[in-house]
Amino acid sequence: MKMTDPNNDMLDDLFAEVRSVAPEPSEDLIARVLADAVAPLPKPVVPPPSLFTRALDLIGGWPAAGGLVAATMTGLWVGVAPPAAVEDLTASLLGDQVSVGFFTDDFGFDIGTTVDG
Amino acid sequence: MNTISDPFAGAPDAALLVAFANGDGDAARLLTARLLPRVLAQATRMLANAAEAEDVAQEAMIRLWKIAPDWQQGQAQVSTWLYRVVANLCTDRLRKRRGGVSLDQVAEPQDDAPSVAEKMQTNARMQALSDALAQLPERQAQAVALRHLEGLANPEIAQIMDISVRSVESLTARGKRALADIMAGRKAELGYEDD
Repeated sequence: MKMTDPNNDMLDDLFAEVRSVAPEPSEDLIARVLADAVAPLPKPVVPPPSLFTRALDLIGGWPAAGGLVAATMTGLWVGVAPPAAVEDLTASLLGDQVSVGFFTDDFGFDIGTTVDG
Repeated sequence: MNTISDPFAGAPDAALLVAFANGDGDAARLLTARLLPRVLAQATRMLANAAEAEDVAQEAMIRLWKIAPDWQQGQAQVSTWLYRVVANLCTDRLRKRRGGVSLDQVAEPQDDAPSVAEKMQTNARMQALSDALAQLPERQAQAVALRHLEGLANPEIAQIMDISVRSVESLTARGKRALADIMAGRKAELGYEDD
């Protein structure tokens, strides 16, 4: 059900007329647009990292290396001068005499000698 | 232009854009030949001012050149992206007009320029429509222009404006009604007589 709407008809005519407008770009405009078409510079080439840097990168770079060193030093420290709790634990596990049944007697190992010291 | 072995013949715009980003000068020329007329036409229809339309067209192409290195193929069409950029640049310009231009203003022909009556009338009508678009909320103006001046279908407009198809329908209906009301008083002046 379409009511005749002269205003709408006028607008439709106007739209059609404007739709048909298709200006040709001037040579000047084309030249300006092409002058603007400068491709961005390629990304700068970074020299490839040395073998050492690459190995370091594998474990996470200097921060991780620092952590590794710290952990290693801590491990050494714990071994050389263990905190009391560790000492007790070690003593309870190993002590002076240890008998840990890793293997049955059938294997013929002398447990005493393998875990001594 | 070598027409025998044109490697870009039939290549989609996005492929040309990638080639341009990789430094291909032919790609830039071909993209300009394809896209600049469309961009200029869209701007001219919305703004009805040749100088402003050229500024918008040049700016839209600058933005295209800038985005070329980051263009993701397959995500969007270059044409969709350009429609959006031009529509936004045009409504920016129309917004600046809102305070100043009175609806009575009609483009004056130059005294010394030979004027064809029909061409004058088309110019006056275009100007009147552009000024009326400037009176609308920007999203309505964009939707109406894309639908009725560019002749695009609602799903494409929805993509361009990043809204639902239903929103497009609502915006175009309201925008068209508002335009009809604004233009109603200028019918005789613009040569639309009741037959």
